[in-house]
Amino acid sequence: MSRVEQDRIRNFCIIAHIDHGKSTLADRILQLTGAVSEREMREQLLDSMELERERGITIKAQAVRVGYTAADGNEYQLNLIDTPGHVDFSYEVSRSLAACEGALLVIDASQGIEAQTLANTYLAIESDLELVPVLNKIDLPAAEPDVHAAAIAELIGVAPDDVLRVSAKTGDGVEDVLAAIVERIPPPSGDPDGPARALVFDSVYDQYRGVVAFTRVVDGELLTRAPLSGMLSGARFEAEETGVMTPWSTPTERLGAGESGYVVTGLKQIGDLRVGDTITTTARPATEPLPGYRDVKPMVFCGLFPVEGDDYPALRDALERLALNDASLTYEPETSQALGFGFRCGFLGLLHMDIVRARLEREHDLDLLATTPNVEYQVTATDGSVTEVRAPADLPEPSRIEKIEEPFVRCSILVPADGVGAVMGLCQDRRGVFATMEPIEQRQQLVYDMPLSEIVLDFYDQLKSRTRGYASLDYELLDHRESPLVKLDILLAGDPVDALSLIVHRDFAEQRGRALVEALRETIPRQMFEVPIQAAIGSKILARETVKAKRKDVLAKCYGGDISRKRKLLERQKEGKKRMKHLGSVEVPQEAFLSVLSIGEGAKSGAKQ
Amino acid sequence: MSVSHLYLHSPFCSSRCGYCAFVVEVDALEKRDAYLEALLTELEREEHRLGEIETVYLGGGTPTLMRAPRLERLLAAIRPRLAEGAEVTIEANPETVDRALLESLRASGVTRVSFGIQSFRPHLLAALDRGATPEQGRAAVECARSVGFDSVSVDLLMAAPGQTLDDLEADLQDTLALAPDHVSWYELEMKPGTSLERMGAPTADEDVAADMYRRTVSALEAAGYRWYETANFAMPGHECRHSVAYWSAADYLGLGVGAVSTVGSERWRNASGVDRYVAALGRGDDPLRHRETLDDDTRRRERWMLGLRLDGPIALSWAGPPDHPDAVDRLVGAGLLEASNGRLALTREGRFLQNSVLHELMEYA
Repeated sequence: MSRVEQDRIRNFCIIAHIDHGKSTLADRILQLTGAVSEREMREQLLDSMELERERGITIKAQAVRVGYTAADGNEYQLNLIDTPGHVDFSYEVSRSLAACEGALLVIDASQGIEAQTLANTYLAIESDLELVPVLNKIDLPAAEPDVHAAAIAELIGVAPDDVLRVSAKTGDGVEDVLAAIVERIPPPSGDPDGPARALVFDSVYDQYRGVVAFTRVVDGELLTRAPLSGMLSGARFEAEETGVMTPWSTPTERLGAGESGYVVTGLKQIGDLRVGDTITTTARPATEPLPGYRDVKPMVFCGLFPVEGDDYPALRDALERLALNDASLTYEPETSQALGFGFRCGFLGLLHMDIVRARLEREHDLDLLATTPNVEYQVTATDGSVTEVRAPADLPEPSRIEKIEEPFVRCSILVPADGVGAVMGLCQDRRGVFATMEPIEQRQQLVYDMPLSEIVLDFYDQLKSRTRGYASLDYELLDHRESPLVKLDILLAGDPVDALSLIVHRDFAEQRGRALVEALRETIPRQMFEVPIQAAIGSKILARETVKAKRKDVLAKCYGGDISRKRKLLERQKEGKKRMKHLGSVEVPQEAFLSVLSIGEGAKSGAKQ
Repeated sequence: MSVSHLYLHSPFCSSRCGYCAFVVEVDALEKRDAYLEALLTELEREEHRLGEIETVYLGGGTPTLMRAPRLERLLAAIRPRLAEGAEVTIEANPETVDRALLESLRASGVTRVSFGIQSFRPHLLAALDRGATPEQGRAAVECARSVGFDSVSVDLLMAAPGQTLDDLEADLQDTLALAPDHVSWYELEMKPGTSLERMGAPTADEDVAADMYRRTVSALEAAGYRWYETANFAMPGHECRHSVAYWSAADYLGLGVGAVSTVGSERWRNASGVDRYVAALGRGDDPLRHRETLDDDTRRRERWMLGLRLDGPIALSWAGPPDHPDAVDRLVGAGLLEASNGRLALTREGRFLQNSVLHELMEYA
């Protein structure tokens, strides 16, 4: 492939809220530039994973190269670097941004800006990216392009006329977007003749080819077969293949300055060349690596246990395989008295947790039991030692605890004016500390500092339901703060169930305990015996409910005509029982272990009275 | 191996009741003659399996809609095979019988009538789409008694949509006032495909349903009935021998559309659809049948499932071992089971939780 002048290259990404049409726009760009023919067009091509398509979200960043002949008659190389749209994956966004000179800011012309878009827009501005604002879905009857164009123009400091208006669905206006990418986004400005420096913005593990790094070359060039090294990891490898996604992987001889593409490294472990590393050549190494990213740390933890104990090795293998391609997923063995052998897993957030769990169940055919998610606590013991506690069961005896610190996040919520009161009430109930409030477009942006533990439960659902779906949320980790936290135990038929323990704020312990035992009473079906459910701190019982004993369990009738049918009914019942977890003599359905997520709001808002 | 229990199915009904998921045909009375011919043909084809017949059960549908002449022909066809003292039961809806029909049935050898009363409360009868009034129900029972049947039985329902404990109490009193020889009292099952289910009728509260069941058992027992099966009650000597044969896992032959037979390790169900049934037998073929082979484990598990329904003990020598023998001590300790001399019996409390006990003892997979 011939050397492309940098001024003919444009690297850009798309910033958009979920459902605002990023994938549709990306598809349309691929079609319009001829990268993908009508026949080859699959709906939302870039969201390739099954789960991603199902949920309409993007998880992994990807880069696609297309060719575009602009009005000036020149052929340009456009590299579209995809970005995820969910708060759990905001670190992936920052990775994409660092590989680009510009971003399309896509906003639904009927919805306006959402909190995550806002957060990512600020990220983009901080990264000196040129923003091309695009109002999408102008074909919708509810679209208010003039209103939203004015607001966006003010937000990012452009003229309202500079806000493009398109319908990715019909294709209307997409041509203008391509023209704007070429006209407004600056070309890359690295040193094509300097020592090679290429930023790894994503990497995947391929069973046959080893680690494949997606990279943006800033300076110099990467040639196929050249000996290379990772400047941070020190790993040495050969570029077994260099190439670009068109969107199908297409080998090239080289990747030059300003270009984005992939390098097949043959490395056996993803840890050998992590995202954020800088690739250089061993023949003429660069002296300074490119600025990387902060280490991605899991924020939410839960225990994953196989329903069938025999599946433990299969679960371990499956986690190993998933972690190969997901640096943010952590796992360590955990033993629960109630649930047996499993793993304490770390995730970026609840969505990430859901996705990992769904992939384990679906792609690896495992039946899993998940415990209530929690955050990571820093516990200082009376002897001065500090440990990180990721499972309630690991919390030391109260007498040995000097202090417990919990992660706080800065939480930004965009909400229409009439929802401000509801949001403030919710945030206060969840121990939020008010920071600021300012108008953005026709809405208010509320900023609270909140314990992350209050968000990982049902905060997002509550936020949506209290604002009729109009509020949107973004958050980032702030710091750790000391809180009076205690371990709340749940006892079934008198025996503590370690997998149901929670770490909660002392002042909320009783309400949570009460709500949790109530939720459990509703979840646990009647048994042959009465089952008391208790919530306790140490030996102090805070709340009690009872699952009443069954008083009748018979099959109403059974005559000659329905013996087989009744036998099959028994088989189905048995199958249902097998999905239950047997804790002592009590059969507990799997949902029970997530009961804390379904605690009704009534119980929590008790703090207000 | 000869079979001594015979079931004959009549699929015709004048309307479909709200809770019914059986193989019935509505508005098809013109097919009765052809159906009778086919049924008699199937009887002829299967006759080689029959020994002396101990019990016959004419079920439906609404068998009484076949009317006297056809029923007489059917009963005449089996009469030569009946054992001395055989039990011959017919199901009947009160609004479909009169004295003449009952006398004809009695004369043709029917010994037992089972009336589908379901309730004496007009609003519940309406909710269940039943065609008879409470008065018709009472009159039918009185008439059958005066005609001289050995046993008169009534079917009733509990946990029907909208039924209160007071409604049940009133039904109990009305039932006892009629003094039937036998009572079947079922909890209404909301089955998929029934109109009640489609209308989204509420299922009874778990506690209310339990109260109703327990109240029914104690009221009938107090009046002298024996609670001889999960949902069946009889004055001494009036137990339904045909049903007891099912619960004892005996072999039986079932003829007619949708009827099931079990002979040894073979079970088959005739397919539904009167036209298809009539056509096949007219051609000289067997009706379309769904067959199932029962292996030893399946039969053992069925013996436990059926045997625990009865009030007598289960002999391990008959039923075979339970899959979880270790559960026996636990269940005995919990007061749900009694064990002695190779026999297991549910306690009274255990009978209310029969299904839970069954799952503790047995695997169904």
